[in-house]
Amino acid sequence: MTATDKAREIEERTAFFDRVKGIRVASWATGLLLAAAAVVAAVLQPNLLTPYGVSSTFATFLPLVLVAVAQSFVVIGGGLDLSAGAIVALSSVVAVQAMRGEEGTALIGFLAAVGTGFACGAVNGLIVSRLRLQPLIATFATASVFSGLALFVLPTPGGTVPAAMTETFRQAIAGVPVSLLLVVAVAIGWLALRKLRVFRYIRASGGNPAAAYASLVPVAGARFASYAICGAVCGLAAVAVLGNSGSGDPFIGGDLALNSIAAVVIGGIALRGGIGSPIGAIAGAITLSLASTILFSVGLPTSWRALATGLVVILALSLSALGAPRRQR
Amino acid sequence: MRKRKLGFTALAATSALVLAGCSTVSNDGDGGGGDEAGPFTIGVSNGFVGSEYRTQMIEDIEEAATGYQDEGALNDLVLENADTDVNGQIQQVRNLINAGVDAIIVDPNSGSALDQVFREATDQGILVFAIDQAVTEETVINVGIDQALWAETSALWLADEVGEGGSIVAVNGASGHPANELRWEAAQGVFDDAGIEVLTTADGGWDQATGQQQMANLLATYPDIDGVWTQDGMALGVLQAVIAADREDDIIVSGEARNGFLRLWSEQDDDFESIGVVNPPGTGATALHIAMEMLQGGELDESQLHDGHNIVLELEEAITSDNFDDVWAEVQDQPDTYVLDSILSADDVQRFFQ
Repeated sequence: MTATDKAREIEERTAFFDRVKGIRVASWATGLLLAAAAVVAAVLQPNLLTPYGVSSTFATFLPLVLVAVAQSFVVIGGGLDLSAGAIVALSSVVAVQAMRGEEGTALIGFLAAVGTGFACGAVNGLIVSRLRLQPLIATFATASVFSGLALFVLPTPGGTVPAAMTETFRQAIAGVPVSLLLVVAVAIGWLALRKLRVFRYIRASGGNPAAAYASLVPVAGARFASYAICGAVCGLAAVAVLGNSGSGDPFIGGDLALNSIAAVVIGGIALRGGIGSPIGAIAGAITLSLASTILFSVGLPTSWRALATGLVVILALSLSALGAPRRQR
Repeated sequence: MRKRKLGFTALAATSALVLAGCSTVSNDGDGGGGDEAGPFTIGVSNGFVGSEYRTQMIEDIEEAATGYQDEGALNDLVLENADTDVNGQIQQVRNLINAGVDAIIVDPNSGSALDQVFREATDQGILVFAIDQAVTEETVINVGIDQALWAETSALWLADEVGEGGSIVAVNGASGHPANELRWEAAQGVFDDAGIEVLTTADGGWDQATGQQQMANLLATYPDIDGVWTQDGMALGVLQAVIAADREDDIIVSGEARNGFLRLWSEQDDDFESIGVVNPPGTGATALHIAMEMLQGGELDESQLHDGHNIVLELEEAITSDNFDDVWAEVQDQPDTYVLDSILSADDVQRFFQ
């Protein structure tokens, strides 16, 4: 094989990977999947529509919804954060230690969780944007660091969370469960903030860094911001986790990072960056969680569950192939 | 400007909703309880699969359930059995609640972080039993052996074999895992009292291959040890590493009550010494018998409960060179993955009831 052949092969391969990364689920496909999942789940498991069913289901969704939104900022910015789950774990145990189970400390815990998440995200952001390490490897490494720190902060599971935090999570306001309201609040929060300049910079840097740089977008700064915001939102997810569990556990959230990546993909965000919206990530996270409920309801043996979850992600991706908008360059 | 107005409207709407009143969400207690006639549905939640122990635990539960299903007392056994984290297990338990089960048997991934979701279940009248790992929630009934006593038994034996002034290393399960911490705390206490120095500990993840690798590393770093204390699921690997280093004559290994280990033990010289303390996977099946008895109207005898919600099962006699031949004769036809077991029958569990 001559050198030119080799070069061409490499070029082709790069193009192929670029194309794979450019594949995205169309918005209609995301919506369709979400609607289908919701209908099927409700038919198979009518108890989901009882007050407890709605409340508990959305309480279960919330951590993944938040981490998926967090992940979406990084992915839209052209990166990837494998440490999201570890950030949730570390933020939650720091919050537990800060509150020490005393009443009236819920706000301190909240701030501790978000602050820790932000700090972790900032570390990721510095490593990726300033040291320019590959995000996949860098965040894989920081995930271990954060998990280790979590174990250091809270060596054994334990501690209690003020009742204010866990009770609020299980309340209903005028018949609407708080957990449902919180998921809606996440979506509204994004819609209210989306016009901020930093989000436009993140999107521009993710879509085409060179063009963004040429247009005076602070690419490195935007990349740093995407990780820092991701970390802070993971801190929020940690609060949701604590609301669910009522106690600290340094091993919590191990599945969150990869599930959040699956959720953003289902949500129509291209791993190439620059395309998609956190709203899609919310839909993706809910679809993914519902898929697991559906698989449980049809009585599928649990050993097949992981495989089936993978198939759901593939199904979502193949739907995009049927009618993805031709936006690929 | 429009955006800001929208924001204020949202804020006002939210405040109005908050003022409209809060209420805790819970279905009425129609989930179960002793007053129903049955047939009942029991859910099982297990967040870690792939170990021989957990596999046998689930099989034991399924087998125990068949009896009740045949006589029509048990309608369905719903399994939530998949590798997941605490968050995923919260979803498992909520799935079971929403499926309308009457009782839940759970091998919890955390001793405290599932308490809130257990409370959600018990508030609706669902009985919850935690096996293998005790939980702190007081409405949950813990069924299991005393993990500290389990560890003490083999630690005392090892301390005795090594003797005062000896030095050992420990291959533990996973730092921070509640069962591991409980066991190691107890074992460490024994070694401190006996004047035995613990040079270091390593984590083998309750996995034979990892245990073997960790032990090989430890042997290279600490050539002068007299013994190794380890937990079940890793003792076979640890012993293999010791044998590979040709040190089985001068390093004493605390063992495990599993067939793979016992087979290797049976192949050693007659003067080989070890110990295996049974940690029965059948606890889940025992819990199923207790659950069925309670669902059918049985009342637990409070005096049998430790701290109001713990049913502590007695340890079987440990396997040592004294009784090895008898035990081995009984179980040697089982595969190497077999974990020595003990299940209380429906009649046996009567002693916990009034």
